[in-house]
Amino acid sequence: MNDFQCNRRPFYKKIQAYIARMPSLPTTVIKVLETCNDPNACANDLKRVISLDPVLTGRVLKLINSAYYSLGNPISSLTRAIIMLGVNTVKNLALSFTILENLKVKSSCLAFAPNEFWTHSLGVGVVAKWLSASKGTPPSASEEYFVAGLLHDLGKLPLHMQFPEEYHRVCEAAQSSQVALHLNETRFLGVDHCAVGRMIAQKWHLGESLVESLCHHHYPADSSEKNRNFVFIVSLANQLAIYLNIGNSGNHYCDHRNISFQMSKVGMDKAMLDDLQETVLDEIERAKTFLEVFRNG
Amino acid sequence: MDSPIEIKFWGVRGSIPCPGPDTVRYGGNTMCVTLRIKVKNHYRLIIIDAGSGIRNLSQDLIAGHSGNGHFRAEILLTHTHLDHILGLPFFAPIFFPEAQIKIHGPQTCEEDPLKDVIGGQMSYRYFPVRQEELAASIEYIDLKEGHYNLGDGITVRAKYMNHPLLALGYRIQFRDSVICTAFDTEPFYNVFCTDPSDPSYDELLAAEGDLAAREENHRMERFYHGADLLIHDGQYTLAEYETGKKGWGHSPIEYAVKAAQRAAVKRLAICHHDPLRTDAQIDKLSQKFCHEQRSGGMAILFAREGMVVEV
Repeated sequence: MNDFQCNRRPFYKKIQAYIARMPSLPTTVIKVLETCNDPNACANDLKRVISLDPVLTGRVLKLINSAYYSLGNPISSLTRAIIMLGVNTVKNLALSFTILENLKVKSSCLAFAPNEFWTHSLGVGVVAKWLSASKGTPPSASEEYFVAGLLHDLGKLPLHMQFPEEYHRVCEAAQSSQVALHLNETRFLGVDHCAVGRMIAQKWHLGESLVESLCHHHYPADSSEKNRNFVFIVSLANQLAIYLNIGNSGNHYCDHRNISFQMSKVGMDKAMLDDLQETVLDEIERAKTFLEVFRNG
Repeated sequence: MDSPIEIKFWGVRGSIPCPGPDTVRYGGNTMCVTLRIKVKNHYRLIIIDAGSGIRNLSQDLIAGHSGNGHFRAEILLTHTHLDHILGLPFFAPIFFPEAQIKIHGPQTCEEDPLKDVIGGQMSYRYFPVRQEELAASIEYIDLKEGHYNLGDGITVRAKYMNHPLLALGYRIQFRDSVICTAFDTEPFYNVFCTDPSDPSYDELLAAEGDLAAREENHRMERFYHGADLLIHDGQYTLAEYETGKKGWGHSPIEYAVKAAQRAAVKRLAICHHDPLRTDAQIDKLSQKFCHEQRSGGMAILFAREGMVVEV
């Protein structure tokens, strides 16, 4: 056990404090501000901008699931959440977490660039939705897969933001020794982003399927029987996004043999993979155009 | 009082107090309604909203006061928009050392506690007495959707309305009597683009938005189903609502009537009248809607200050 692991209480306190006031990603923040401050912004744009930000998506679902009583099942659809909460409430919620200080990590300590993290998260969301559709999930139910993919790595943000130097070292070590990042997190920090993801999902009342996908996306077999197929899709989406080099959230480890095996399980061949890559890249480009990402170069 | 619950309207106006010659009969004070519930050998007082109408209630309480300062009440705030809380600093019992007041209401979406939101208007910049200086024992209770027990067999169910701020409606039950409030609210509707020729149109989004709005309206009707009295928002006529008032969080009277009928409500009190609505105009609306209802089973009232309904 290293020094860092010895003193656990302040460690968890810092993580919990960050979860309580987690800000939006800088990639989406300008568009969120623009949309939410515009009294004439349409609900379609509002939904789109929120659905491109994993933190905001989580926050809106947190509000709907923690405040509303007697909902049969937890709500994981942003569309329904916006109808129930109303456009104004959602705009104000978004603004209240967007105006907080944003990612202020020294560039020398960046385990991953925010735009790259965003690209990876969005990429996994799009792949998860694509995979679910290819397995016959009706379009009306596919949003949940997208949301699960978008949110799967949320647990990395508190680690990255609260312990930038340590987390930077953990990521570097994982890359140089070709080890999966979550294993290195456990080794050096005593906790991995999956456990932190579970803390977030539980704290935000995101519902069982999202709790399990944030927690078990590296080991879908550990999830409950009820949600195993769901988590498996998110897990495969994550591996495919890494394989296709879509964004970067600090994990570069790619188990090619396992990916081939998992692809065969869902009946996916090389042609389909090419098709998927094109779909994801198109979707990310469209999102970048909408968000005007990198507008200042 | 023979009925177990006496409901009295102290303020029925929406948005802003509007005193003047045109609002004398229905009143110009903003929302405040009391439920006086007879339990065993005493009465429980439940106050719904602390609009400017609460000042007249305060005067009435002082006039009937025994003088020992003992006073107990529950205030249920529907939400914290100004017209629903601006009377609170003028509610005299908050200055009585022996008074015990519980203020229940919804948190904002930012999760700021009710105490801070309400107490914010009792800071020096807005009011000469600070919240910390109030003599009464005041307890703030943050509510979400759910069931709450007020004791003495009185239960409250809270449900979110459709308003630009998180606002709660209340279903208050004592024995077999049920009083419901549904203000400030408007019908749920699909906020997403439904025009296929619009560049932002998304077929799936439009369909899910339609379904969600329908289901939420059904949930709302289930909430006040079978109420002995439903006090419902009726700030606009349908024509007014459809010409630029959609999304403001208030209902057309026509919708309130139809929804209450579908929900088998026994009596419907229309309230939260538009501040521009004159007495003569409300009379006219009252004649129209009450006349249309004569053959139906539901009674319709247009709430006015001082009106008492027994359930």
